[in-house]
Amino acid sequence: MIRTQKIILLAALLLCAPLVALGQESPAAELSLKDIEGRQIRLSDYRGKVVLINFWATWCPPCRTEIPDLIRLQREHGDLQVIGVTYPPQTLAEVRRFVRKAKVKYPVGLGSKKMMALFSQSESLPMTILIGKDGRIKDIIEGILLPEEFEQKIKPLLK
Amino acid sequence: MKSKSLVFAIAAVLVIALTSIGALAATKKSTIRVEGMKCAKCSGSVEKALKATEGVEKVEVSLKEVVVEYDDQKTSETKLREVINATGFKAVEEKTGSQ
Repeated sequence: MIRTQKIILLAALLLCAPLVALGQESPAAELSLKDIEGRQIRLSDYRGKVVLINFWATWCPPCRTEIPDLIRLQREHGDLQVIGVTYPPQTLAEVRRFVRKAKVKYPVGLGSKKMMALFSQSESLPMTILIGKDGRIKDIIEGILLPEEFEQKIKPLLK
Repeated sequence: MKSKSLVFAIAAVLVIALTSIGALAATKKSTIRVEGMKCAKCSGSVEKALKATEGVEKVEVSLKEVVVEYDDQKTSETKLREVINATGFKAVEEKTGSQ
């Protein structure tokens, strides 16, 4: 009996593996959270725009380093929307202080491990989920966003 | 006919040998101590940025240092340090020389 259960579990895992790989290009899960000013952020409100959900933390050096680039991208591309979601542990006061000092203009909310797990099983930081205008996940960019990644992965979607 | 084949074989061996020697001579290995990599979740950015650098052949990242093998005709340790610093960490000093 236990052996049968093990076989079923193994088969389920094998079947799930391709589905995880197919996570890209699948419709993005609905992300809903409050920003640091208490306003509601809903991913579905940005349908028709290219969305970058950037998971970050104030204690993560590469995350802090790429934020000026994200601010610039948001400023330069009208059809792009950046949403910052923090990864725990993180306090509202720390995030507010950082956001004000860095002059982040895009919405930023306090996130959770569960929120990141909606998009990826990896816990790398920073992590940027690239969502197309059609609301589908186009790519999951782990680590700092490199200029060539913007050119190859994001720019073509903005046309 | 036989001598032609022999000459061709010797030439081929020489070309391969010289190419290999040239390639080996250009490969350097540097160990760079990096400050601030306390967060295992974030250190992947260093590896990613280094691997995307032209001339970098192999990267090993631990929480204290980075070991990089690279073609010194295409990049330099100074450039590698700049790449590390651009990820938000700090390359502090050269621990060992090249090999």
